[in-house]
Amino acid sequence: MIGVYRELEGSMRLAAHVLRRFWVLKLPPVAEELARQIYFTGARATTTIVILGAFIGTLIIAYVIEVLNADAELAVKILSWVVLREIGPLIAAVLVIQRSGTAVATELALMKVSGEVASLRHMRIDPQDYLVVPRVVGIALANIALTVYVQFIAVGGGMVLSALIVNVSFGEMAGSFFLLASPLDLVYCLAKSLLFGAAIGVIACYYGLNPLGNSINAVPKAAISAVTQATLAVMLLNVVFAYLVYGSALFGLFTAAL
Amino acid sequence: MSAAAGVALGYEPLADEKRREGRIWITQGGSHVVPAVSAAFKSAVLSAVLELKPRKQVRVVVLGTEIDALPPRARAGLRAQVAFLPANGGLISNLNGWENIALPLGYHTPKRLAGLAPEVYAMLEQFGADPRSLLARLPEEMTLYERKLAGYVRMRLGTPKLVLAEDLGGGLGAGERRRAAGFAAAYLADCPEGTFIQLEDVPDESG
Repeated sequence: MIGVYRELEGSMRLAAHVLRRFWVLKLPPVAEELARQIYFTGARATTTIVILGAFIGTLIIAYVIEVLNADAELAVKILSWVVLREIGPLIAAVLVIQRSGTAVATELALMKVSGEVASLRHMRIDPQDYLVVPRVVGIALANIALTVYVQFIAVGGGMVLSALIVNVSFGEMAGSFFLLASPLDLVYCLAKSLLFGAAIGVIACYYGLNPLGNSINAVPKAAISAVTQATLAVMLLNVVFAYLVYGSALFGLFTAAL
Repeated sequence: MSAAAGVALGYEPLADEKRREGRIWITQGGSHVVPAVSAAFKSAVLSAVLELKPRKQVRVVVLGTEIDALPPRARAGLRAQVAFLPANGGLISNLNGWENIALPLGYHTPKRLAGLAPEVYAMLEQFGADPRSLLARLPEEMTLYERKLAGYVRMRLGTPKLVLAEDLGGGLGAGERRRAAGFAAAYLADCPEGTFIQLEDVPDESG
């Protein structure tokens, strides 16, 4: 229990550090780290995202039309609710945890074990400024971009592929989609993606900078802890968001109009 | 005038301290070699000097300042004048030679990055390295001497008044050791009021 509290407190402190020291991103070495992180997390993951997104979109439309015997409007409605609001941000987050969460935790744990974090301190460089701030911001921004990719590919690709598989035209599905989708959906999922990405970054950095020991064995343990805790955090945040939007939160003033 | 005036590095276990760790008392200026009697001693000296926090059983003086009497706010200013060159060069593994050398300047004084290349090239050439090749490589692709040299150049750019170099000749061949021995002279030629201290490991003769 104390361990859980310590980890939660440590992660919160890191998150607070990122907010407090956001300005270090203008320093050239930190800006380079940010660019590297965005490239690694965002650009390098696009192929996987395209394939995943297209499969998911097709699967949802084909399932709804063929198995549930629904019409195009309902299929697109479900595609819009599920992909835009839930699956898109979740798929992107899971992919980011798999790729960048493990990479960041492993890299930082290795740097800690091999004395590179100490080297930064010897140069009077705060490791949290140089290592944590650009990674958290980079992962959060890249996660937003990946979420948009997933949504675009899953919705667009799903409609294109489904037009080939089931007996509904692309135009019919696209028309229904644009009638249903609202800018609020976009704001909701972007806010969610930003928080998911920031949480993944903070948690991966926390476990990377605090490996259990100074031996090389501590490195995979840090990666495993980062992946497990980041997944839990994303699921928890998703539940909180779902409650805020679909539940009667905010004193009943705001509920989602489905 | 205080007893600490003119002292570049003082490390003195207090009288009631039972552990016999050794004493270092070096006046400012010149190059000095300090044998590190044990890894624990070396680690204690380095953390005392690099962290600049008051120690209970040790008197520490850095650049004429008693650390016990140093207000916490003044630590950063004093620390900026102290540089440390680790035995392995202290490079960051995912940055190439240039990025490693420019890292502290980019963080502390980004304006100095402009026009830095000729200075770096000159220093690397002075010690027999090919700048184009060394600056493009990652630390894992460099020899130990090249890593130490890159760490040394990086340290020099910060113009410190006190340099602590850890086991400078350790792990090097005879030729490389000769070149590395020139690090102190080059630093002092550039910064005559500076102090260059080499913490050298004492060979274990027990076995």
